[in-house]
Amino acid sequence: MSLSPSLSLGIDIGGTFTDLVLHDPASGRATIWKESTTPDDPSRGAMAGALEVLRRAGRRPEEVARVVHATTLFTNALIERKGARTALVTTAGFRDTLEIGRERKYELYDIFLTMPKPLVPREWRREATERLAPDGSVETPLDLDAAVREVEALVAEGAESLAIVFLHAHANPAHERALGEAVARRFPSLSLSLSSDIAPEIREYPRASTTCANAYVRPLAEKYLARLEAQLRAAGIPGGLFLMLSNGGLTHAAEARRAPVQLLESGPAAGALAGAWFGRKAGLGNVLAFDMGGTTAKLALVDDGEPLVAWGFEAAREKRFLRGSGLPIQITTVELIEIGAGGGSIARRSGLGTLAVGPDSAGAQPGPACYGRGGTEPTVTDADLMLGHLDAGFFLGGEMRIERGLAQAAFARLAGELGVAEARAALGVHDVVNENMAGAARVAVAERGRAPQDYALLATGGAGPVHAWAVARRLGISRVACPPGAGAGSTIGMLMAPARADRVGTYAVPLARAEPAAMRAILDALESEARAVLRGTGADLAATSVRRLADMRYIGQGSEITVALPDGLSPEAVRAGFEEAYRRLFSRTPPGAAIEFVALRLSLSAPMPGSGGALDLLRHAGGEKRKGSRPVFHADAADWVETAVYDRYALAPGDRIEGPAVFEENESTFVIGPGSVATVLPDGTILAEKA
Amino acid sequence: MMVRTFDPIELELLWRRLISLVDEAAAALVRTSFSTLVRESYDFSCIVTDERGQSLVQATESIPSFIGTLPATVKHFLRFFPAESLEPGDVLITNDLWMGTGHLPDITVAKPIFLDGRLVAFSASTAHAPDIGGKIRSPEPREVFEEGLQIPPLKLMRRGAMDETLVAILRQNVRTPDQTLGDLWAQVVALDVMEERLVALMRGHGLPDLTDLAAEIQGRCEQAMRAAIRALPDGTYRSELQTDGLLETPITLRMALTVAGDEIRMDLSGSDPQVDRAINCAMCYTYAMCMYGVKVCTEPNLPNNEGAFRPIHLTAPAGTIVNPVFPAPGGSRMLIGHYLPMLVFGCLGQVVPERVMAACGSPMWGMNQSGVRTMPDGSLKPYANMFFYNGGMGGNSHAEGLSCLSWPSNVSSTSVEISEHIAPLRFRHKKLRDGSGGTGRHRGGLGQEIHIEVLSETPIAVSFLAERTIIPAFGIEGGQPGACGELRVNGAKVDPKRQYVLRQGETVTLCTPGGGGHGPG
Repeated sequence: MSLSPSLSLGIDIGGTFTDLVLHDPASGRATIWKESTTPDDPSRGAMAGALEVLRRAGRRPEEVARVVHATTLFTNALIERKGARTALVTTAGFRDTLEIGRERKYELYDIFLTMPKPLVPREWRREATERLAPDGSVETPLDLDAAVREVEALVAEGAESLAIVFLHAHANPAHERALGEAVARRFPSLSLSLSSDIAPEIREYPRASTTCANAYVRPLAEKYLARLEAQLRAAGIPGGLFLMLSNGGLTHAAEARRAPVQLLESGPAAGALAGAWFGRKAGLGNVLAFDMGGTTAKLALVDDGEPLVAWGFEAAREKRFLRGSGLPIQITTVELIEIGAGGGSIARRSGLGTLAVGPDSAGAQPGPACYGRGGTEPTVTDADLMLGHLDAGFFLGGEMRIERGLAQAAFARLAGELGVAEARAALGVHDVVNENMAGAARVAVAERGRAPQDYALLATGGAGPVHAWAVARRLGISRVACPPGAGAGSTIGMLMAPARADRVGTYAVPLARAEPAAMRAILDALESEARAVLRGTGADLAATSVRRLADMRYIGQGSEITVALPDGLSPEAVRAGFEEAYRRLFSRTPPGAAIEFVALRLSLSAPMPGSGGALDLLRHAGGEKRKGSRPVFHADAADWVETAVYDRYALAPGDRIEGPAVFEENESTFVIGPGSVATVLPDGTILAEKA
Repeated sequence: MMVRTFDPIELELLWRRLISLVDEAAAALVRTSFSTLVRESYDFSCIVTDERGQSLVQATESIPSFIGTLPATVKHFLRFFPAESLEPGDVLITNDLWMGTGHLPDITVAKPIFLDGRLVAFSASTAHAPDIGGKIRSPEPREVFEEGLQIPPLKLMRRGAMDETLVAILRQNVRTPDQTLGDLWAQVVALDVMEERLVALMRGHGLPDLTDLAAEIQGRCEQAMRAAIRALPDGTYRSELQTDGLLETPITLRMALTVAGDEIRMDLSGSDPQVDRAINCAMCYTYAMCMYGVKVCTEPNLPNNEGAFRPIHLTAPAGTIVNPVFPAPGGSRMLIGHYLPMLVFGCLGQVVPERVMAACGSPMWGMNQSGVRTMPDGSLKPYANMFFYNGGMGGNSHAEGLSCLSWPSNVSSTSVEISEHIAPLRFRHKKLRDGSGGTGRHRGGLGQEIHIEVLSETPIAVSFLAERTIIPAFGIEGGQPGACGELRVNGAKVDPKRQYVLRQGETVTLCTPGGGGHGPG
């Protein structure tokens, strides 16, 4: 039998589990499987999982047309400092840039703070005689022979990967390229990363940090991706391998090998993308994607179906939730807000006598008190159980036993310390963790000049659906959507992702002197680079969508905003677009200020074959919909209410259910309050609205 | 009247909401600001106070300079504009050196917040303006009049309408009118954000005023600070240190810190008199820096509000360099002020040596330049820039001092590429100063050396913030002092408190000081 391959296989390797999903675009049917991650060689677990998900779906490897992959491997390599032996060649006088950094603390009152160590030790940071002016013109020509001799010495000492970062190279890559080419000829096996190629943006420290991070993970990426491709081939899977980028798009393995730094946030990006996809399917325009797991909650804003992107982030933070404590990475990335709030977050009496929840987490080991694995401190999951939001008899679909009595004992102690009743303490934990998440969402939305009420909340993750309704109420959000298979949501997101390439070019010119023709030339060059990448992905190039953007600001400001450029690029229309975007963010424009460009950006995306269409997760057709009822404490009612419990797998599209209600599936439980109405959408998403 | 009480859960929820609303306002201010100091160094603050000007919450990321100064300014506003003279939509403004933060570029604005016609709170914000006129920032001015425009407490807005006379005077007196006014707008936006969110919060929780909530929040912080102080042994501890001062005349700072039960009294008597240079440190800034020092080695994680500092008292005789009187200039007050936390460490280090560090290579360093640039179209345009650089931190009981880090302030340095873009300069190197950290069991952090060549065809004027060029950062517990800083013009050591005029091809070298070492080497 000869079948033309048509299936899509998604593989998302996380720290603990590797999530797999097999999707048949023809029927919409999707099969999900979780395999334990094999940290010594993650491709082993991925392959075992791939074969298992195929077996469960009753399909054969030859039928897989494409494999889509996200991984935390490179992020972990940065965190654990397990990357390549990396060296740096930089402009004479500036080898310490990487170590001096921004000279700024991330914690004002802690004199014992630690700063992230540079990825390249000082003895491996060498200097080259060369100098460019800010406009890119050459002031001192590159002494190529001397620079190559430095590299020779570094290779002799064991360097495996080399970053080249010259001052003002974003304005003129000539010196970096000349050295790069000479080094590539002389040391073909040395991995190379040029700053003008990886992060061509002004500001030498973040550019150097990004380029060194790329150099640090690149040899690992080259080896790992080659091995995975070979193993897929050996398993009889003919489809190509595509990688999820931090920007929420896909790329082919060659591009991933060139600039693996683009993959650092691939897992979370996939989660945001899943939010965007389910939001679009549910007909929701603006979505606040809310993913709450065991340790953290992540929030991403999705406007008109597109996750918002940021143009930089921090990797490998010294303190996970503290801005400024990590390595700056200047790449396009789906913008995520991470909060120390999850099912395992521990509740304690604070030093000031109030109730504090998180960011410490009991994690999976020992886990919440109710797990009975030795945890004695009350957690968010324990509170959820106490309040009836979770059912001790149906945790993980009944596969794991949890004990209400243990949660109660933990809460008895906390309640005693706080001087309140047990039930009040449990409700307090629920309220405080929800407020923590709502507060972070408010600040994030305010930073973009929007109001939370303009959004619908889309809940994923093990704990997201349990808390989403209450968080939405705090934000004044009236619609909450919960897609099926919330636990594996991000893997599904990858399968729906388009191919995407983002490029940036320097254009530091006041608007008053901007020339549309010059801008057009830069944008065209960026577009042809991006097209070349997409061509290699097999994406539908006839359906590309191009976004031309510019980083702009009022002259004198130091931070830019990124705005869409109008067709034709006329200065008047550019000004109008900038002012409108500025007003939307900050409510007013400063009087009489002049505008300038900083950079031009191009974002190209095209749908992948098989990425459209329906999604159908396994369900028990014809099963009993209503499983029973139980008392649940609802914050809106400020009381216990007998609440109907539904088997999510038995619900059919079009079903309409009045709240309060609880919807149970294996990975999570979706809780909605009184005064709401839930509708089951065609793809199985439950949309709950305030009645 | 019945006092409203809050259980630990409701209190946490209300407190979180207050923090998130000042942080929302701070986010709006940072994003709309023109000043590099606001944007990149968070040289600003946003707070909410009760109707008497007692602070409840402060934005998370603001720097320590404003501990206590902003609520004190609100209280000064209330002296000038008593409650009955305030109306919804009013915005008050001042940059008074003594009522504000100790130097003129910091502009403070505050807005009375009304609920059902009754004054219930203030939203307030201080931010470092891009320019305030006067002599370019340096220690040279002899009186405050040389330092720029002074704005006494005034109404910037009356019932929502801008005072156009004041705006016109402001525009006329600063080098960067659009940017200075733009930043003032950004501050007003932040006040509006706090007002709107606070009113919604109070209505949502049925709070007619903030009195009881303020008492609860401030009371808990006060109790926590008292408990931390009670754990320290009673006694009077003294320390003294010398700063470079004015060339050949070091300045001595003295402190006697008394721990008595659950209170601390700091007395700066014996510190040198005020000087006729702009390094005087007004009492408001002295207060902020001393409180910061105490907080770091007692309860570093305590939220900043009125209550936290009630058990701590500070006195300094009028006319000293740490409490100068009118018309003393103070533009470079950090050249004294940044030493003050070290003076506190010198006292408390005698009882909690594990909680302090050796001296840092601070105060922060800076280079100010002004001149005329040839623009691409051939026209000439005046310009002025300030670039900041930092020395090493002191070693501590756990670890080596960190190199090139801002302390006690938190001002990042400007990127070399950006600096060369906006100023006619070429940076020849910016590198760690090997050997500049004081030796010890835990070495002090390294300073840095920055070598800059002038490219400008027209002469430029440069002045500096530069300290510890004579007296190094001391080591503690047997550690050695860090290397002194050095300022060189064309290779020759020069007086860092003077202004220089440089021509094309001439060079400046800044060598920031290293931190002191900790423990015997």
